[in-house]
Amino acid sequence: MLRLILQRLLALVPLLFIVSVLTFSFTSLLPSDPVDLIIGDNGTQEQYELVRERLGMNQPVVVRYFQWLGKAVQGDLGTSFFNSVSVMGAVMQRLPVTLSLTAMSALIAILIGVAAGVAAALRPQSWVDRFATLGATFGQAVPNFWFGLILVAIFAVNLRWFPATGFTPITQSPWEWLRSVILPSIALGTASSAAIARQVRSAMVGVLQQDYIRAARAQGLSARRVIFKHALTNAMVPVVAVLSFQITVLLGGALIVEQVFAINGLGTLAIGAVRQQDIPMLQGLVLVMVGLVVVVQLATDVVYGLLNPKARPS
Amino acid sequence: MKKWITTLAASVALALGLAGTSAWAQGSGTFRYAEQVKLITMDPQQQSGSGVPFLRPVYETLFEKSPDGKPVPLLATGYKVDGLDVTITLRQGVTFSNGESFNAEVAAANINRGVKLAIIEGLKTVASAEAVDASTLHIKLKEPDPAIIDSLCYTGGMMLAPAAMADPAIDRNPIGTGPYVYDKAQSREGEVRVYTPNPTYWDKDKIGLARYEVWELPDDTARLNALKTGQIDAGNWLANPQSAIIDRTPGLKLIRGTGGLNYHVIISDREGTVVPAFADINVRKAMAHAIDREAFGKAVQFGLAEKSFQPYGKGDWAYDPALEGVYEFNLDKAREYMAKSKFPNGFSFDMPSIPIYQSRLEALAGFFKEIGITMNIVPQEPGTLARVSRTTNFPATNLVWATNTDPKFLALRYIYKDAAYNPFKATPSEELLSLAKQGLESVDIGVRAPIYKKMAAELADEAFLIFVTNTPILIGVSDKTANNPTVVYRFGEDSINLRGLKAND
Repeated sequence: MLRLILQRLLALVPLLFIVSVLTFSFTSLLPSDPVDLIIGDNGTQEQYELVRERLGMNQPVVVRYFQWLGKAVQGDLGTSFFNSVSVMGAVMQRLPVTLSLTAMSALIAILIGVAAGVAAALRPQSWVDRFATLGATFGQAVPNFWFGLILVAIFAVNLRWFPATGFTPITQSPWEWLRSVILPSIALGTASSAAIARQVRSAMVGVLQQDYIRAARAQGLSARRVIFKHALTNAMVPVVAVLSFQITVLLGGALIVEQVFAINGLGTLAIGAVRQQDIPMLQGLVLVMVGLVVVVQLATDVVYGLLNPKARPS
Repeated sequence: MKKWITTLAASVALALGLAGTSAWAQGSGTFRYAEQVKLITMDPQQQSGSGVPFLRPVYETLFEKSPDGKPVPLLATGYKVDGLDVTITLRQGVTFSNGESFNAEVAAANINRGVKLAIIEGLKTVASAEAVDASTLHIKLKEPDPAIIDSLCYTGGMMLAPAAMADPAIDRNPIGTGPYVYDKAQSREGEVRVYTPNPTYWDKDKIGLARYEVWELPDDTARLNALKTGQIDAGNWLANPQSAIIDRTPGLKLIRGTGGLNYHVIISDREGTVVPAFADINVRKAMAHAIDREAFGKAVQFGLAEKSFQPYGKGDWAYDPALEGVYEFNLDKAREYMAKSKFPNGFSFDMPSIPIYQSRLEALAGFFKEIGITMNIVPQEPGTLARVSRTTNFPATNLVWATNTDPKFLALRYIYKDAAYNPFKATPSEELLSLAKQGLESVDIGVRAPIYKKMAAELADEAFLIFVTNTPILIGVSDKTANNPTVVYRFGEDSINLRGLKAND
């Protein structure tokens, strides 16, 4: 297992290098110019040239890239083009926000998805199964930003149960933190719960028809023990793979849902950086997101190995 | 025992002393304002766009606008403009929140820094500034500028502490003389800026809040929801569906401030270098008459804009009611002008567009189509419209103009041969040039107003600037804010005057 973790971490180095080259190249190809935004509508050509020089944008892309890389390997991702905010500082400030949102969404997705999937698998073709299937279809079809807006309209604006916007850090108030992440997490996690429910149902139906389940039942084990200890543990093996993919989807989806709820996470930072063409900020964000995805996949492989001994590396 | 009593007495005296010092500056309650743009910089002299509500709590200006729009002293006590010499007397006994003194030397350093950075349009006529004595500032102009005092009401007149000017991270460490100080520890980058009372403020009675917050909520729907649920007390908006909702929602109110944005079409190639038809005055007048401004305002700007035929809005000293309706929508008249022109069968031209103007241009293209003119909308990257409008890449463009801007800037932007938005270097008519120069000869609004009214009439006659609509400054507020007698909206600006502002509860 340790070898697997080391292998993955080592593979991260060339991956981040390739991603940084691609990000730098693509942002350099964009037709708009951050200098225009910095000097404003009344800026002169002289000011334009001065700002370009100050930002180092008058140098060739390759030179700029290697200057950036030289600092990045020392942990310095630079500062924003627009102010003195450090990229690392900005990313690290928002990372807990997006991670909070993603973790809570994943939790909601797992709870709803597993419960619905198990319920549907236990009574195939029953009304429970049909209802769960319909719910899963609805959950996957509804765009998360639209669902978020509906949740805000009902539970924040009308009922006033939750705040309509913003995020409270857990260190400030755990209760307010919970209130601030519930609605966005439901909006974000619903589609994933649908995907998980489908996978759990399918896996559970297959497992429940296995001989060892029949044998367990014949031995007089309780239904709860058969379902949760024997059937669900084995059915979860393919589900973990889906879950890994869904967490990546949740990280991406957070970008949109953060806008709806005015949550100041990585998504809001990314959209602002794209609009302003704040290249250092974009570069830092992409690298962190790639790192996060790799970590999630690594964690999935570890859990996969724990659930399924055959999948463990020799 | 004696020592204990002495210690206790000293502690009580100290506590009372501290309480006495801080009680005046505490204020009470919190007021929350939402800004529609993200904060870029808290350095006013490098601030090139929106975002002034982030600066006002900390920085005070030499002058400010009175409720009727006239410049009145704030950190200054008086002024005299004599040709190229501007003499300003300054308030004494003012200190910055870090303890540094505010005096003429510091004020001169501020103005000179602004001139050197050259971002602020209002300081472009300034050659230099110097201290005459501790409380007298002298500004030397490069050319006559009757609007110099007006410019000092905005970012050009904001005074920074010497330590702030020397700080490379000034964009996040503002230090001014204002009623509040920026509390970096309590603020959350990209989310909310927190301000607390300035213990050294020179006009202590004007501190009415214990805490002032400016939230960065660029999403219009999120900002609307925050207002509906009481998370914010007020916020600024553009003319969009969300501000239209505020206008009709019980419990909320949409305040229409003086000033705002004038949307207009600029025929840059008015001598017909690339599009010969634009040199024909009949074509330009036909275009001006072909626009149904009323329908445009309702459909594209959600009923929040008014028809416009001149650069200034109602309530502005240069506004001329006589020009109302000068290019009223009249398709027959527009077609008559086209028939009289050398291009009766129409022509086509390219118009640059950014996403927020796309629907406006689609509406305009529909109007022009009715008189045989095809306007091809050419998408540009957001943030680049001003830049492409200053090039000869397009024979016409479309922009907005802040109607609280002094009229002298009209000539600087559109009229002079070297004007920023005259890329084809069209020669202005003698009449326009003469009026532009006359407008600079006096600082007296009473003298200048008739000159600029004539200029607006001449602009209407030459029709190379086609004014479409005026959108007022829009501030959405809760009923509580609307009924708060201490809430005073700044003239021509999307912010609330913080001096004397108290919390709603």
